[in-house]
Amino acid sequence: MRLPTPLLAVLLTQSLFAAGGAKLERTITVSSDAIVEFTAISPKGDFIAGACQDGQVRLWAFPSGELRQVFTLQDQRISSAVFSADGTLLAVGGNRGAVKIWSLPSGQLKHDLKVGASVIALTLSPDKTLLALAKQDQPAQLWDLDVGRIITELPAKFSGSSSLAFSPDGQWLASADGDTEIRIYESHTGALRATASDLLLETFAVIFSSDSKLLYAGGADRTISAIDVTSGKVMSAFPKQSYVVGELHRSSDGKSLLALYFDERSFKNPVPALVWDTATHSVRSTFDESGITPNGGGFLKDGRALITNSAGPRLQVWSLR
Amino acid sequence: MALSHHPLTRREILENCLALGSVAIVSSTPAAALIAAFEEHELQHRRPTPPNDLGPFYKKRAPETAVLRAAGDPGMPLAVSGQVFNTRADTLTNAVVEVWQTDHLGHYDLDGYRYRAKLPVDNNGSYKFDSVIPGHYPDRVCQHVHYLVAAPGHKPLVTQLYFATDPVFEGDPDRNFGRDPLIHSRELVRPVILTGDPQAIEAAVRFELVLELL
Repeated sequence: MRLPTPLLAVLLTQSLFAAGGAKLERTITVSSDAIVEFTAISPKGDFIAGACQDGQVRLWAFPSGELRQVFTLQDQRISSAVFSADGTLLAVGGNRGAVKIWSLPSGQLKHDLKVGASVIALTLSPDKTLLALAKQDQPAQLWDLDVGRIITELPAKFSGSSSLAFSPDGQWLASADGDTEIRIYESHTGALRATASDLLLETFAVIFSSDSKLLYAGGADRTISAIDVTSGKVMSAFPKQSYVVGELHRSSDGKSLLALYFDERSFKNPVPALVWDTATHSVRSTFDESGITPNGGGFLKDGRALITNSAGPRLQVWSLR
Repeated sequence: MALSHHPLTRREILENCLALGSVAIVSSTPAAALIAAFEEHELQHRRPTPPNDLGPFYKKRAPETAVLRAAGDPGMPLAVSGQVFNTRADTLTNAVVEVWQTDHLGHYDLDGYRYRAKLPVDNNGSYKFDSVIPGHYPDRVCQHVHYLVAAPGHKPLVTQLYFATDPVFEGDPDRNFGRDPLIHSRELVRPVILTGDPQAIEAAVRFELVLELL
């Protein structure tokens, strides 16, 4: 639903301060009863989708901060959200199995699926014909969006999957599973092609390299592993950190990874976010603002990382070189 | 006695009962059909253990040890035991039970294998381990022990054990088990037996596990 401009409850501030290498780009006042639980940032950095506690997904343009759309899954809590690679679709999953996909910027509903269990991860293929989704403690599913049918399920030995990613060339689908293995499938058939079995703890974030040859995986082992897509072997690992990897985002040039971490002793504890150099496995920059717990991230076209956090009823958007 | 250790099949036992008069059939249905129906009904008498979330901190290749509590570990000593069955009430003598939990402060060991173990069951399908009552993990409501139970020919079971003594329940788990949104079944909240004297109190819990056949 497109909101008329006078109703936009947006408070914009510009570049209030810079500290620790990070710059506060925008502060968006959401609503007094709508704290943003997590965000998804479009691949070009021009939209931010905020999953709010009031069950709405608010879509803001960036950098203007203008509220463009408000989406809902009726009475379901928002449990996952992701943009397509070209930023023209937004897929949202709910805690009782609803999945809706909207066209952007029109806001037209394109797909309306019901999958029967809480949707904890979603990903769209680069050509936007396939959707992979992870359900709570159940096998992940690969959907053909053109016909609105499941192509196949993607079972682990037990439990479900935590994170899914398509390769940029559209050939592969990676699934990080609860049994700690990472499975790599052919995208269009769901045929298993490789299994990464070297990781002892569960992976919570997977993303392919820009050439689709490596898969970066981060999770409870507090590191990021670079996995060969064809063999499933761990080729290298980034330096281990103090916290668990929760999200990974890749810059469009493939040279940087943004890693968001969480403290397993309490998910709400503030922890740093790091931008890694994918070639040297060294830290390019650190987001370590006092008292701030990131709740989403991504990259701008110019290579800057974007990081969001909730500050009460406001959403703060930071950039990091 | 578990069926798997009995020299006769259920059907043979029933046929013997019929021949010896310890079972009488008052029906126009043939005896064989009634025996089959009786057998089918009896085989279904164990309900599968309710599944529960895996949680994020399972770690594979846990050591085979029944002693999770090291000497001097703080926390209330805990002894857990149980048997593994399937829904036909057969004891599963080839099951493997994996358990993992926090220490008494609510911290998982992600670097090593403290409070993690793999427990092959014995010839009676029994398992047991010594641990401590886990602490309250900061982002969970209740104390819990994670379980992964596997046996050939059966669906793997992922579940959790909860303690009726958890302060969250205020002594009334029947009424209050729903205070933890992840507890979907009262059955997973187990009674706790306290033994020993006030200077050396210990907790004991039984947790039977029932797997579904593939």
